[in-house]
Amino acid sequence: MALTALYANKLRSFLASLGVVIGISFVILMGWALDGLDHAMADAFKALGADMLYVDKWDWAGGRRWDLIRQRKPITIEQGKELVERLQTPELAYMYSNAHRANFKCKDKAFTGISVNGTGWQHSQTPMGSILEGRHFSIFEAQQSARVAVIGYNVNAKIFPEGGAIGTLLKINGIDFTIIGVAKKQGTAFFDFLDNEVHIPFGAFIKIFGRERSVGISVKAGSEENMERVKSEIRGLMRSIRNLKPNQEDDFSINELKAFDEILNEMRKYIWGAGIGMTILSFIVGIIGIMNIMFVSVTERTKEIGIRKAIGARKSSIWYQFIIESSVLCIAGSIFSLILCSIIVYLAATFLPDYWPKADLLSPYLPYQLLFIASIVSIFVGIIAGLVPAIRAANLDPVDALRYE
Amino acid sequence: MSEIIETEKNPLIRIEHISKVYEMGVEKVYAIRDISINIYKNEYLAIMGPSGSGKSTLMNILGCLDTPTSGLYHFTGLDVSDMDDNELAGIRNKEIGFVFQTFNLLPRASSLKNVELPLVYGGVSSSLRKEKAMATLTDVGLGDRAHHKPNELSGGQRQRVAIARALVTNPSIILADEPTGNLDTKTGEDLMILFNSLWQKGNTIIIVTHEEFIARHAHRIIRLRDGLIESEEVNPNPTYSLMKN
Ligand SMILES: Nc1ncnc2c1ncn2[C@@H]1O[C@H](COP(=O)(O)OP(=O)(O)OP(=O)(O)O)[C@@H](O)[C@H]1O
Ligand SMILES: [Mg+2]
Repeated sequence: MALTALYANKLRSFLASLGVVIGISFVILMGWALDGLDHAMADAFKALGADMLYVDKWDWAGGRRWDLIRQRKPITIEQGKELVERLQTPELAYMYSNAHRANFKCKDKAFTGISVNGTGWQHSQTPMGSILEGRHFSIFEAQQSARVAVIGYNVNAKIFPEGGAIGTLLKINGIDFTIIGVAKKQGTAFFDFLDNEVHIPFGAFIKIFGRERSVGISVKAGSEENMERVKSEIRGLMRSIRNLKPNQEDDFSINELKAFDEILNEMRKYIWGAGIGMTILSFIVGIIGIMNIMFVSVTERTKEIGIRKAIGARKSSIWYQFIIESSVLCIAGSIFSLILCSIIVYLAATFLPDYWPKADLLSPYLPYQLLFIASIVSIFVGIIAGLVPAIRAANLDPVDALRYE
Repeated sequence: MSEIIETEKNPLIRIEHISKVYEMGVEKVYAIRDISINIYKNEYLAIMGPSGSGKSTLMNILGCLDTPTSGLYHFTGLDVSDMDDNELAGIRNKEIGFVFQTFNLLPRASSLKNVELPLVYGGVSSSLRKEKAMATLTDVGLGDRAHHKPNELSGGQRQRVAIARALVTNPSIILADEPTGNLDTKTGEDLMILFNSLWQKGNTIIIVTHEEFIARHAHRIIRLRDGLIESEEVNPNPTYSLMKN
């Protein structure tokens, strides 16, 4: 009975539930975007190895103590070497160093935006050193500081769109390197800088960029369970290598991928902050819209309510009838939102990455938990919006209601 | 028929000195002032009177749709003035069948659904509901119109659906407020035949009417004026408009 009345006023019902449609769409799209972030993070962990530690002068997560960190002394090659030699617990440890400004020339063209990563042969044993094409450099090449290079995925795509990178010469600060390999794609979305690197042997890096740069030490713990043990070993060794007194703070950082979690949580906050305000607003509009239409419906059907009461409907029956009607209105709204959002999400995930590559973290499907949340929310909104009109209907005086024309 | 009134001990309905007052600002409108009536089982009573004399108000009180401002109302021995809204709804549902001048059917529901509705509120199961509603519709001669909506029926047919709806719960009393008011004379007369047969089957009927020839079907006629009983007469010679068979 409640449904026939809704059906008879399709357009009006639709307009009334528009606020709810918008509100639920916000919730769904927000949930979807956050889900995309989570997936990106999980992917990155898988690609970069969740068991990697990076001992460095710089702190990845440390925006707060930036001034202190700047004043830290660089980690020298000797200190790095000592740490690598003395470490017992990890699976792998090797030095690296980065140069973000270097002159690149290849096929007589100059490039910027590529960074150089001087690293050990062990790099090939980590997920980041996995090779798409060609090979990584060998122990021998590393020891000889050979002029060989493994280029990142984006570098290859940019310079050699038609392929043929292997064997080509690349000039770094005027010195020739032979490209021997192309790395697999590493980063999704927020880690795509990893694909803009060129990896060369650490020794060759020093010859070009000098010995004064602070170095870092990559440590592969071997397993996530081993992380804490390895971390405390690193900390103890580094403190002794750097001659720190017991009351002095660490003057180095042990970075891990979890640091990115914090950055991600920050983004999460922005998404919620932007989304939640709009969502609340549209739900308020939605509740008012539905409530209004329910009042209209009660007034229009005063006579019907009178008839129902005259033949024995209790207050609660009338109340239920209108609560169900407004809930159905909201559920219909949420089903409509789900369909709408599915289409938006599918189109966004399919076409957006063409214009904005970071969007490739978005899934073309809605997470199923959102369907559950959307239905709960819509029933809740329906009950809230229908409550006062339903009570008014239930309390109508039967004689007055019957006389209403 | 007058013997029945005198020998019956416990009236189905007993009202004593009831009044209904509407406060219109400072002014008080007495819809009914002081009315006492006993109505017995299987009575056939007509209430007449000029417009505004309080007939509908009285019917609404008798039908538990409305409560009197003062006075006593006993229905099958129960004190109705003590009841809350839900108990009154229960009485209306099970004990009272209402028939209105304007039919008051739900326009979007079929005849069958309309007749089923009191059973829905009475908590009767779906299959039994259909069965009873269909049987009652057949009783009023509309078995073949079960799936028609009110706007596909004539006035007389609509009123028969309304009567079926009133009868379907097998109530103690049928209250009809000007049931022929919106019908032509011939159709009204046909409807009175139906009422007569209901009375013959043992139903108790109260009918409000403006028309003398309709009232002549009843066995007792009460006339109201200005919210008071003006006269009460026993009709020694009720019209039996039964079909010749
Ligand atoms: N809700 C109300 N508020 C104020 N006055 C009312 C109300 N209902 C009825 N009345 C008054 O009570 C009196 C009796 O009304 P009622 O409807 O019972 O008359 P009636 O005999 O049924 O008349 P009719 O033959 O026209 O149907 C009238 O004067 C009417 O104006
Ligand atoms: Mg009247």
